[in-house]
Amino acid sequence: MPIDAFLKSIEATNFATTVRDSIWMFPIIESIHVMSFTLVVGTIAVIDLRLLGVASVQRAVQRMTQDILKWTWGAFALTVLTGLMMFTTNARVYYHNPFFRTKMILLVFAGLNMAAFEFTAGRTVHIWGSGPSVPRAGKAVAAVSLVLWISIIFMGRIIGFTTHPGAVAPPTPGVNYDNFLAPPPGSSNGNGGGNGAPNQPAPAPPKQ
Amino acid sequence: MNSFAHWLSTTSPSHAFRVHESWLIPGVQSIHIVGIAVIMGSLFMILLRILGWAGTDQTLRQTTDRFAPWIFGALGLQLVTGIVMIVAEPVRELINFSFWAKMVFVAIGTTLAAIFLYGFPNREQQWDRFVNRRTFKSLAIVTFVIFLCIIVLGRLIAYDHIWGSWSPARQEF
Repeated sequence: MPIDAFLKSIEATNFATTVRDSIWMFPIIESIHVMSFTLVVGTIAVIDLRLLGVASVQRAVQRMTQDILKWTWGAFALTVLTGLMMFTTNARVYYHNPFFRTKMILLVFAGLNMAAFEFTAGRTVHIWGSGPSVPRAGKAVAAVSLVLWISIIFMGRIIGFTTHPGAVAPPTPGVNYDNFLAPPPGSSNGNGGGNGAPNQPAPAPPKQ
Repeated sequence: MNSFAHWLSTTSPSHAFRVHESWLIPGVQSIHIVGIAVIMGSLFMILLRILGWAGTDQTLRQTTDRFAPWIFGALGLQLVTGIVMIVAEPVRELINFSFWAKMVFVAIGTTLAAIFLYGFPNREQQWDRFVNRRTFKSLAIVTFVIFLCIIVLGRLIAYDHIWGSWSPARQEF
């Protein structure tokens, strides 16, 4: 499959190799990813809840979007950048992971949902935006948006349980750092997880 | 703490959570992340208002009245989901440098947020007197940065080995 060859070449880049071989780089990139997307989702939720009439109903929608969305997009750019960084470290595994794929599809839906707003209720926002009542299409878009973003969070979280990014330190023999409660190696059912790190060390590049 | 964590892992709620761990743990973690997103979004709106970068059509008091209940409601959600995660995996959480560092930051961050949102006298003039002071703005930035650190430390619970000898996980077992 040609795509696999391409993904393999991404994994072989200097950047990907450096991140993979570092103990701290992947966790820090992942932390920045989480920080920025909490701002993405948090700020989007402020607007969605306004459209749904739950909060900030006395504020003009145009004013809020003008105030907030530039920060949302800035945080989104940082989220995408850090997401791409993580992707390079183990591109083939992510590409073939069903939750990763679902997450990407949901992101596309979130974009289409925004576009749907622009083509429906968004066109007349200057008429209804200052008042508390919102057209049905606007409310529908807001509800779909909240559901999509929460689903995207879940998909993102479960990717960490189902992939082996190879970005962790090689474990000391006999110690399972990722799941202390797991039975020792060799016994059945050692696959506990419970964190974002791979459950087992990847067939990782040998370190040091 | 070691023996407590091990004891907790043998209790029946802990066992029950782990039986369903394939979906329950990522599910609860996802709710925990939705909670922090609510907190960060709300804190960010208040920060932007204090700095005068957004929401200037509202008074500071209107802004905090709008967001404070969401911050403290979500903090309650974080407590509940956090406890579920600890009970499910006590050793992973409690024998962990990042976890305890995070708890210190949570204590400081929550106190600062509470002072900000409830501690000042509820009079507009008081707010207005404070709002343009540089120390007030700095304190708002510090509070926000502390919550960013909480996110990083929360994520690092999964990677506690990066702390090297500070991580008690290394001495465990």
